[in-house]
Amino acid sequence: MRGPLVIAGKDLRQRFRDRSALIIGFVAPLTIAALMSFAFQGVQNVHATVAVVDLDHGPIAAAFHRAVSSPVLEQILTPVPMTSEAAARQRVKDKTLGAAVVIPPGFSAAASTSTPKSLTTITNVNATIPAAIASSVVSSFLAQLNADRLSVATAQAGLPASPAQTAQLSVLASRLTIPVQPVTREMNAHPLKTISYYAPAMGIFFLLFAISFTTRSFFVDRAQGLIERILAAPIRPTEIIVGKALSVFVYGTASLAVVALTTTLLFGADWGYAPAAAVVGLALVASVVSLTTLVIGLSRSERQAEGIASIVVFGLALLGGNFVFVSAEPAFMQRLALLTPNGWALRAFTDLATTGGTWSIIVEPVLAIAAFSIVAAVAGALLARRAVRA
Amino acid sequence: MKGRSPLVSQDLVPEYGLMAGAEFVLECDNLRKTFDGRVAVDGVSFAVAPGEVYGLLGPNGAGKTTTIKMVCGLLQADEGVITIQGHRVGESVEHKGLVGYVPQDIALYPDLTARENLRFLGRLYGLRSRLLTERIDEALELIELRERGDERVDTFSGGMRRRLNIAAGLLHHPVLLVLDEPTVGVDPQSRHAILEHVHGFSEQGMAVVYTTHYMEEAERVCNRVGIIDHGRVIAEGTRRELVARLGQHDRIELEASGDLEHLAKACRDLPGVEEADTAEGKLHLIALEGRKVLPAIVEAAEHNDVSLSSIDVIEPDLEAVFLRLTGTALRE
Repeated sequence: MRGPLVIAGKDLRQRFRDRSALIIGFVAPLTIAALMSFAFQGVQNVHATVAVVDLDHGPIAAAFHRAVSSPVLEQILTPVPMTSEAAARQRVKDKTLGAAVVIPPGFSAAASTSTPKSLTTITNVNATIPAAIASSVVSSFLAQLNADRLSVATAQAGLPASPAQTAQLSVLASRLTIPVQPVTREMNAHPLKTISYYAPAMGIFFLLFAISFTTRSFFVDRAQGLIERILAAPIRPTEIIVGKALSVFVYGTASLAVVALTTTLLFGADWGYAPAAAVVGLALVASVVSLTTLVIGLSRSERQAEGIASIVVFGLALLGGNFVFVSAEPAFMQRLALLTPNGWALRAFTDLATTGGTWSIIVEPVLAIAAFSIVAAVAGALLARRAVRA
Repeated sequence: MKGRSPLVSQDLVPEYGLMAGAEFVLECDNLRKTFDGRVAVDGVSFAVAPGEVYGLLGPNGAGKTTTIKMVCGLLQADEGVITIQGHRVGESVEHKGLVGYVPQDIALYPDLTARENLRFLGRLYGLRSRLLTERIDEALELIELRERGDERVDTFSGGMRRRLNIAAGLLHHPVLLVLDEPTVGVDPQSRHAILEHVHGFSEQGMAVVYTTHYMEEAERVCNRVGIIDHGRVIAEGTRRELVARLGQHDRIELEASGDLEHLAKACRDLPGVEEADTAEGKLHLIALEGRKVLPAIVEAAEHNDVSLSSIDVIEPDLEAVFLRLTGTALRE
């Protein structure tokens, strides 16, 4: 074990002295995680302030007011009554309001006739979430209204009514609600904060760069005759591989631990139950070590190593969901994420953060990462031995 | 192949010691190595005694580096046997501790200091704590870099790096030091210092294998020389023994302008001229009693429109031996 320890010690000394390695391993993940967290703050807060311009003042307009002010919608929509369509339009344009709904004059009266009037939704293309919320609420209300109109029409067909009776039927109908309302219950105990996703995502992403600079330094060393010089000592080729792997493991563990601690303390990221998160982190670092060995084994030169490492790093990051929420991706992409160790790790970290669970949460991800690591390590060790001797 | 009596001091090899009765530190027997069907080393045999500097002299691609890589256990011979102090190379990695390898490339970490480089390499050879520190100080003292031991290698001049490259091979006090073209690209002053060091190592009893394509280095520093060409040792002996093979032959060196290749061809047909080749803008000839054939050479030059600027008739040396044996001048 002397050789691997000596080699790992020397590699770590160089690594921690190298400013670019420190930036990639420690500064960049923290900075990018914080930036991503701020950038996607809007995605996390799904809420809109919507103007309601009532030019009708009829019973159906009143029903609309009641609908948008209901407790069901209070978390996602705040209605702001306004009297002028032009003023509302200007505020939507200025983005001081997310959207506006205009109830035209005579809207209630026209609802019980054969020529009903339309509700107008004013949106800003730069505020897509408020626009979607306003449109959705309006569509939902109009669906209800049309159901009411159908009820009235059905009643009229069975019992010819006077205009006064028809108006009364309309009022009664407007008080009806669709009997089955969807109810949303969150499966997780805690909502996922953006920083709790992007802290591990960026920590993992920059950890993957260890593959890139370790393979590159290996081939630089080999080109300069340093690997050969080491092999001239009483050292076996496998000891060089183990030494390199050991240095990646220590560097990766330190990098991920610093990112976890800093994002928790400074940005309030939630990594879940710490011992379980640590085990996931160690498993992930082990998989990075295996991948590094594999890339060394697959490469024949520094340039080739750089190319293969870049493909591996960005391929894994894209598939594993390090750039965008996996849950926002299409189903097949979500399945592909489970082919990557970083995808499993990210899933484990977010599950730990949102469910408040402990060991049982990580069993499946850790086993999956371990399986990936073993396959990569065996292939890598076989191939890298040849690379050391070349 | 005559060997000297074992001279390596126990002080130099405390970890391993000499095997009783070992006449040679290194013995290579009929080494053969091919790369993709191309023969790089073909039946090379030689032995090096303690305190002896054995030179492997030959042009680039002759098989010198392949041979010493096999000696150092970096390449496995297809055929043949190498023993170092009786330990057969390739059977385990432990024999590597007997060898100090100084590669042709400056194999040092530029972002580490001289001391850090030596500490790393010393640890690989099992040196520890105080002994390691002592050996590092000793090595830095030897190459006159003690004052700059804590500076990064990338701040060193080429000559300083070369010296440090050699020092790194000495830390563990090997019984056999293998130097692969250690003076390539260094200034004359550093080259002189390196050659002095090599001479000093042999005086201390260390066996040295020294590869070079510089004739004057081989003549100056090596006790015995093996001339290697196309993977074969074509001649071996002391300088005196090799030169004696030439008999009355002289080497003639002409500096001239014009078509030297054409002149070389013409000279080959002259009576008394046995070899003629061009290298580095000069015409090199091997001739029996060189001074007698000079008029004919001058006439041939005039006849071929070659303008001569100088003619040297040189007493037999290794360059002449090489030219005589291979038919080609040794190119630097």
